[in-house]
Amino acid sequence: MNSTTSKSAKTFVRLTKNQRIQHVILFVSTGLLILTGFMLKGERWVIESFGGAGDTIFWWRGIIHRAAAVAVIAVCFYHMIYIVVTKEGRSWIKDMMFRWKDAVDLFQNLAYMTGFRKERPKMDRFTYMEKVEYFSIWFGMFIVITTGLMMWTEYLWPKFYLDISEALHLGEATLAALAIIVGHIFTVHYNPHVYPMNKAFIDGKISESLMKEEHALWYEREIAKQKEQASHQQNDEESQDEQPR
Amino acid sequence: MCHNLAGLGVFEKDEEGNAVKRIFYVNEKLFKASYHGRVACTGCHQDVKDIPHTDVKKVDCSSSCHMTDPSDNSEFTHKRMAQDLKNSVHGKKGGEHDEDLPECKDCHNNKPYQITVKQSLQTMNFLKVCLECHQSEEWAERFYEHTFYRASIRRSSKDIVALCSRCHADQEMMQKHDLDVVMGFEDTFHGKAIQYGDEDVANCLNCHAPYAMDYSPHRIGSEETPGSAVHPDNKLATCQQSGCHADATEKFASQGKVHPSSYTFSKASTASNDEREFQQWVIYLITLVYKILIAVIVGFFVLHRILDLLAARREKKRLGEV
Repeated sequence: MNSTTSKSAKTFVRLTKNQRIQHVILFVSTGLLILTGFMLKGERWVIESFGGAGDTIFWWRGIIHRAAAVAVIAVCFYHMIYIVVTKEGRSWIKDMMFRWKDAVDLFQNLAYMTGFRKERPKMDRFTYMEKVEYFSIWFGMFIVITTGLMMWTEYLWPKFYLDISEALHLGEATLAALAIIVGHIFTVHYNPHVYPMNKAFIDGKISESLMKEEHALWYEREIAKQKEQASHQQNDEESQDEQPR
Repeated sequence: MCHNLAGLGVFEKDEEGNAVKRIFYVNEKLFKASYHGRVACTGCHQDVKDIPHTDVKKVDCSSSCHMTDPSDNSEFTHKRMAQDLKNSVHGKKGGEHDEDLPECKDCHNNKPYQITVKQSLQTMNFLKVCLECHQSEEWAERFYEHTFYRASIRRSSKDIVALCSRCHADQEMMQKHDLDVVMGFEDTFHGKAIQYGDEDVANCLNCHAPYAMDYSPHRIGSEETPGSAVHPDNKLATCQQSGCHADATEKFASQGKVHPSSYTFSKASTASNDEREFQQWVIYLITLVYKILIAVIVGFFVLHRILDLLAARREKKRLGEV
């Protein structure tokens, strides 16, 4: 793979500013939630090593966990409105939906990776892995927000429901934390195509080479669209600016 | 007299035939500074009539100790507490294993009975105010120490959990008495907060015998004892006590256990045992499902990633050869 990151290369919009802000809020607060949440599962000797500061640390742990929870709930609700109300949001959820091609992509990609196929399947704007990760967040957030709110309003519920909430909250958090580390951080950081880091979450841009590599179908479509726009521009002068997706 | 001689003691054989040293030395200074510093030796060791004496019986804390109670000039005694203990669940004699039941000194295990108020208070200046009226410095200091000592929290929540756990987390002992082993408390929110050093969350006594609600550890009862803090009739009020779950609803206090006990020895299929078994089964199932989900999903991600890396390496080699 020519994973050379040529500086002069053409770039495409991968994430808009709005999407990048949603992402930052999501990962900062999720990180804090995982950290402060698992502080309740620490071994006794780890907790007791905090000594006299333990009480203060425990107090802050609770405050930070709840504050980050509010941020996550807010960004999730915003996202739900975003994918309905805004144009880029609608295009996002449309491209994110699972389709038959994802199953085909999965098998073809597995065949490619195991050496039974010469080329990687041409994938669209979102690969099947990205779709799995995205909908995992929907599923996971539904679980942790529901159970989290139940535990926050503990006085309303039978203790048994709270036990169920706790088990679900812990299970989902463990799954999410591991899935984020393995599935996401490794994909966007420790990945030969983008090592050390896919900067799209900062500048929102994707290079032409990476786009060809990982989203060939999307690339072809974008190029075709640009060509069409270019010919339109030539045809009638009153052309619109290039619309970012 | 004799007991102020350092080194006074004997070697005895214990039940297993090992030599045990018993020290009879009493440090006068330490004793005078202890709770019982103003009680004469014979106040507790009441069977000592002549000196030198022969074998002495164990001290009975419920005896009258030849002191006047300053509040009503009656003879001072711990009789009431001893009686309360006898009537509580901890005093239910007549079973097969009465030797396990706690006595005074099993919980009051501050062996030298030292008052530690001077270490915990930053200043003793307030004592000077007492001395403005009260002439005897010794008396004033003792009164002052007593008041502040009783008013301060003497045991941390960690100590209380450790104290109760000595028996109630002992699987063998609980099995003998057909009681639940308290297993899961340390993993609960309350338990973890206590490990961090938070004194505002509930330790054992805050629910089982809160002084604030006129309960007492001496009169402690089980959930089956009418009038105990954890009896179904009183549970809600206990949860709602000031500083805790003030808005707790009937539902909150009705179902489930604060500390999940994994072991129930009673084979009887009572409604409450069945319910608990069902609840534990549900929690087990949720945990199991998540373990499988984690293994499958994370396993797939790892495998996918490894394959991807291998493919990239192969591709690089292929391009290098061209």
